[in-house]
Amino acid sequence: MKAPRSLRSLPPEGIVQRGLPWVVPVLTLIGWELASTRGWLSTRVLPEPLAVATAFWSLLRSGELWQHVAVSSMRALAGLAVGGGLGLLLGLLTGSSRVLETLLDTSLQMLRNIPALALIPLVILWFGIDETAKLFLVAVGVFFPIYLNTFHGIRSVDKGLIEMARSYGLSGWALWRHVVLPGALPSVLVGLRFSLGLMWVLLIVAETISAQAGIGYLTMNAREFLQTDVVLVGILLYAALGKLADVLAKALERGWLRWHPGYQVQAA
Amino acid sequence: MHMTELDGAALTLRTLPEPMRRLRAIPDASQARTGAPRAEGLAVEVRGVAKAYGKRRVLEAIDLRIAPGEFVAIVGRSGCGKSTLLRLVAALEHADTGEVALDGAALAQHREDVRIMFQDARLLPWKRVVDNIALGLPGPDGQRRAREALAQVGLAERADDWPAVLSGGQRQRVALARALVHRPRLLLLDEPLGALDALTRIEMQQLIESLWRTHGFTALLVTHDVSEAVALADRVVLIEDHGIALDERVHWVDRAHAGKPRSRRSRIACCSACCANPPAPMAKSPHPCPASKRGAGRSDH
Repeated sequence: MKAPRSLRSLPPEGIVQRGLPWVVPVLTLIGWELASTRGWLSTRVLPEPLAVATAFWSLLRSGELWQHVAVSSMRALAGLAVGGGLGLLLGLLTGSSRVLETLLDTSLQMLRNIPALALIPLVILWFGIDETAKLFLVAVGVFFPIYLNTFHGIRSVDKGLIEMARSYGLSGWALWRHVVLPGALPSVLVGLRFSLGLMWVLLIVAETISAQAGIGYLTMNAREFLQTDVVLVGILLYAALGKLADVLAKALERGWLRWHPGYQVQAA
Repeated sequence: MHMTELDGAALTLRTLPEPMRRLRAIPDASQARTGAPRAEGLAVEVRGVAKAYGKRRVLEAIDLRIAPGEFVAIVGRSGCGKSTLLRLVAALEHADTGEVALDGAALAQHREDVRIMFQDARLLPWKRVVDNIALGLPGPDGQRRAREALAQVGLAERADDWPAVLSGGQRQRVALARALVHRPRLLLLDEPLGALDALTRIEMQQLIESLWRTHGFTALLVTHDVSEAVALADRVVLIEDHGIALDERVHWVDRAHAGKPRSRRSRIACCSACCANPPAPMAKSPHPCPASKRGAGRSDH
């Protein structure tokens, strides 16, 4: 918070401060553009930035881009809803019941050590290469971070607060709603942010295996025709969507954890 | 030896400069509550209570009677079991043997009448101050009652703040308001001022005392600070070696205050040692010095 204040008070230095982080990316872009136009860099390796921009623009205008982005986003969100929902539910159950923890936690911890991507051959055998396979892969990947962090969050709710709430007459659902769930929320949101990162990684792999639509299909199709500019558009789209998901998760944290001293810096 | 401790505490209290106690004007709780019915204090009866954690005995054969509206302080070294006794009365723990009765009935029947204040304020950090106080309040007027209670502890303007931005003393005030909003008939205080600095402590002591006088609840305070016990309580109970080693009434001796609401300043601990050479007003004290287990032998007045 100190930096912006000093920016306002010292405008010339502020511009330098703000512009400095962008110097390297801009120089890289200029160098890349020069290398491409001079022919030092083959378009098969990397197309010139301008070509990427043009490809992006034409895909946008034809509406093709939105279609692929929508398909990919739907897959990602469906996987997140199924896997994240199950993770949250099981985390809440094992977190609040010792019996369920004993029954389920060891098994889940064992499954957790299987990398989701190692399941690909099995997933193809089970579900073929259609939508179910992609949904399954994403769901498996996002399940564990949310499960683990929910479990941990519930277990680390301050026992003193629970004792206080009980002695003030809270029990059952009221105790959950006012004490346990809000107390576990910071941890659940950490799990969500981990999951969002994994969600896009798994989706990219799943879409690269086989797809008839989506960003993965767009890039794999372009690869066949050596359209490196479109491939790059696909890669950048994944990056942008990943960033967007992270920004949304951060906004959720800021909204739901306003009470948390760690998120009050901006408000104060 | 415990006598001398109490003496010392009383002396310290008498010598505290008056301005320090009046650092901040506490809003007059009696005015704020005119018209509201005074809750009857609960009578507490602890009969033959014993408690052990594994092989470690904490309390043995504890008998304690507290009259309705009385303010009793339990003092003792850390780890002597004084907090355990309080937690037994609060039904947060269960006695191995013996029982605790409130107004002659089992603890479970008075759950709504008993509120506890902990050493740490235990405010829910995700609820604003006013919502913390309204926690567990039934009915639609919870918010209004919470704000009233907050005004009583002098923090009306902090209603919509997060607990994280309050100071330690303010948090304890909020915790006090949260306890009082339920109109408890028995208020249990588990070293609520232990973590506060000296000046804030004095302020809080005054606040607790004035609210106790207004509301008429029975109060049971656990503290390791003998001077605090003497300053606040009618009776000081010392727990040592798993049992009650001393049970003494605290007297106020100032002639001017006899028969009127007592003032902290005029009180000293009445124990056998000091009764041996009583100051003149002592004779008119409304509470005769009770013969206690230890006091009786040495008392010679």
